[in-house]
Parts: sequence; structure tokens; C-alpha cells
Amino acid sequence: MNDFNIEKLNEHVDALLDGLEPPLDADTLRLSELEDVAKELSLLPRPEFRASLWENLASSSEQRAFSNAGSARPSGASSGQHDVVIPPLFSSSSLTFPMRGSHLAVSFGLHVAALALITASGLWVVQNRAVVRSTVAQLIPVDHDYVMPIVPGKTGGGGGGGGDHDKMDASHGTAPRFAAEQLTPPLAVVRNEHPALPAEPTLVGPPDIVLPQSDRMGDPMANILNPPSNGTGSGGGIGSGEGGGIGSGRGPGIGEGYGGGIGGGVYRVGGGVSAPRPIYDPDPEYSEEARKAKFQGIVLLTAVIGPDGRPRDLRAARSLGMGLDQKAIDAVGKWRFKPGMRNEKPVSVLVSIEVSFRLY
Amino acid sequence: MHETDERRLIEAAQCDPDRFAEVYEANFARVYAYVARRVPVREEAEDVTAEVFQQALAGLGRFEWQGTPFIAWLLGIAAHLVARRWKRAAGKEEVPVDELELAVNQEHAERQTLFSQLIERLPEDQRRVIEARFFRHRSIREIAQEMGRSEGAIKQLQFRALGTLRDQVGNRHE
Repeated sequence: MNDFNIEKLNEHVDALLDGLEPPLDADTLRLSELEDVAKELSLLPRPEFRASLWENLASSSEQRAFSNAGSARPSGASSGQHDVVIPPLFSSSSLTFPMRGSHLAVSFGLHVAALALITASGLWVVQNRAVVRSTVAQLIPVDHDYVMPIVPGKTGGGGGGGGDHDKMDASHGTAPRFAAEQLTPPLAVVRNEHPALPAEPTLVGPPDIVLPQSDRMGDPMANILNPPSNGTGSGGGIGSGEGGGIGSGRGPGIGEGYGGGIGGGVYRVGGGVSAPRPIYDPDPEYSEEARKAKFQGIVLLTAVIGPDGRPRDLRAARSLGMGLDQKAIDAVGKWRFKPGMRNEKPVSVLVSIEVSFRLY
Repeated sequence: MHETDERRLIEAAQCDPDRFAEVYEANFARVYAYVARRVPVREEAEDVTAEVFQQALAGLGRFEWQGTPFIAWLLGIAAHLVARRWKRAAGKEEVPVDELELAVNQEHAERQTLFSQLIERLPEDQRRVIEARFFRHRSIREIAQEMGRSEGAIKQLQFRALGTLRDQVGNRHE
């Protein structure tokens, strides 16, 4: 190393940095290796460039959302600005990712639907915290005026029927009272208005059973209101049977069967009559009044389950109030049953239904 | 970087732009080296390099992995930008980046990285002279004033620093 070389090298570096070619002479050849190094140094990226470029990438106005790289920020980069700017939703900037309108619409729709579902379910839960449980509890003995007791081991029934060979079916009306014996059969159409020996029409049956009465005599189970008809049966009386009674039986009683008394009609469980079984039993609703008062309890209903499995004649045998009786009746009215059976035939059966209202 | 790792990184950056920092770190030296060999003025090379990464960041979502290294895609952008400058200057055509080009460029990038590391290891006064002279384009007189030394001393430090770098680069390549 000598001063000449140092000076010469510096001249060459000056030329290099000024973008000029160093003079090609013997001295240059001697210094060529060092000049090569200097040439490479002159093209090295400035140390601060690498960091500042990342700074620019991260902090450009539309790309600032990407600048919160945190630990991922390249070493040496300034940690100055860290503001997070969300890329504009509808921009078509080249620095944001492409957005499709259909995707945005679908996404928006899904979010709205999800929000509506969450809101609706929340409201429902708030309004229906009172969930109701209802059960058919048990079939209990019923004190019912229209039901004859069934004697186990014997065929139930009795009944009677009649008619005067009318072309029309018997008309609707009420039955006369029961009496121990019958002097005159009931008639919907009186053929002889001036009999020689007038007598009150009666049915043969237990006198202590009181049937509803009206001015219009007929078959309580008939559908025809007018014109009055004694029915297609025979032997006096009303209906399709025979023997001076009312209904399709034989004898002076009412209903199916024969020999007097009440036949057919509604049975109770036991004595060869099976209990109906519910096959569709939606829960009753809580009444608003009872829900607000947090009122709980049991409503006991009586109902006749017909041969078609539908309940009818629903009544509250044990009332609870606060609108729950009606709610129970409304709900049980929608129930459907496998009907009770007697002699392998579906029959109407009187049952009791216990409906529990519980808040939990 | 292994192809699988690189692919994972690119896919992660496509989903999360924060991860672009890693892509940038992994590829900066090679992109700059490629550009610097074709644009032998540092300021212009830096401008082109900056533009390459700006375009890469903007277009990353459209990048599809087809088996070629990600650096080839970046150098493709760089080649296009360099050619655009050449066209403006002398009407040269764009040159596609092939595998040989990638290999040569890799060597240049490594050499530049090596120089950067060696400068960091120079004695303090030599390093200050090199940085002031080659990165900030200061004259010998200005550096002498900054460091409170004579111009002759600064020239001598410059001479020694270049010699040290030459020797150390030579040792690494032997």
C-alpha cells in the first residue's frame, strides 16, 4: 500500500460513484480487484432502503390495514405508524383484494337471517319460559247421569227402539222420562191426537235416572231436526228398532240393545270395555294471566272418547281458573285416541284427563 | 426455503396480508440483486425493487401456485418493469426469466447479502467511511469533517476497508 495507490483508488471510486468509467491504465489494472469490490458496494441497497420500502408497503394509504404485522415486521423497520385502516368495502383499488357483489349480497343475507333467527328465538324463549307438561293421568270413576253401570261378566246395555215404518229416519228430540212400565211409547209424530185413554209416554228404565226434557220428543242421537219422524222401525216408539222405545234396539228402552233401560251410549272403562289411549296429545298453552302470576296446578277434565277416537263433551271436573281450564279444554279437544273397545268394537268411553300446568 | 413451506407461506399471505412481511423478507435480496444487475444505478434499482413489491402485494390474491418457485413470479414482475425502463431508454424487449437466470441471480443475491454482512463486521471507522461513501455518496472532504479526521486518513480507511472486503469475499469463495 502506498499513498499513490490510495489516491488513485479514491479517484476511481469518485468516478464510479459519479457513474463514470475509471480510466484504464496500469494503475487501474493493479487496483482492479479493489475496484470490483467498490463497484459492488456502489450497487448494494442502502441499509435503510429495505426497511423504508416495507414501511411504504405497509403504510400506503390503501394498504395500511396490512401494517399491523407486529412481530412479523421485518427487522430494522420503523415501528412508527401502526394505524389500522380497514380497506374500503366497495373500492376497486388494485391494492385491495377483489370483491364480488354476489358474494357480498349472499353474505349480507345470511347475516341478516342469522340475526333475525337469534332475535326471534330469544323473544320466544323470553315469552315461553313457561313450558307446559300435560298428561293423561288416569281414568277415574265418573258419576254421570247418562251412563248406566256396567256389570262385569255380563253384556252391558239394554235399550230399545221403535218407529212406525216412516220413510224417513227418526227426528231429533228428547226422550220421555223413565218409568217402571210403559203405557204409551214416545212419538215424534202423533198419529192419533185423540186417544181413548190418554197416557204419558215413558221409557222403561230406572226411574231415578232423569233425562233432559223438552217439548219436542225424538231420538237424542238423531241428526234430523225437521220434519218430525218416528223413524223406519216398528212397534211404536221412535227410531229404527222395534218395540216402543227410542233408537236402534229392541224393547221399550233407549239406545242399542234390548229389554229397556239405556243401551249403547257411553261406556266406562271396565267390564269388558278397554280404556282409550292417546295417540296425539299436543301440550296445552299457558294462559297469559297464569304465566304472569306464575300460577301452577292441575285441571281435571272429563271427556267422551268416541269410536272415531275424537274427544267430545269436554268439561272441567276440577277447575283451576286463570284461563287454564279453557286452555286445557282447547288442547285436549285436539287430542286423538285409539278408542276404547267392547266386544272388539270401538265404543264411546267416558274418561277423565288430568292436565298439569307447571312452570320450570 | 422448501417448496412446501414456501407454498404454505404464500397461501397464508393470500389469506392474511400480515404474512406478506415474511414473503418480503425471504425474497428482497434476490429481487434487488436481479434489478441491480440490469439497472446499474442504485436509486433506480431501488425504485424498481419497490415497484416490484408494490405490484406483488397488490396482485398476490391472483397468484396461482403452478409448481414454479414464487421468486420466478417476482422476477417476472421485475423483468417486466426493467424492460419497460429499457424500452423507454433504448427500445429493448422484455426478456423472460428462465431457470439459468434464476440460478445466476441467486449467486448475485447471495454475494450482495455477504457484502452487507461483511460491512457490518468492519472496524467501526472503516464501516463509517464505507457507509458514508457508498450509501450516502459523501465526498472525502465531507466525511473528514464529520469524523474530525484528515482527508488523507479517510482515503486510507477507504483503501483498507475495500481491501478487507476483497480478502474476506475471496476467502469465502475459496
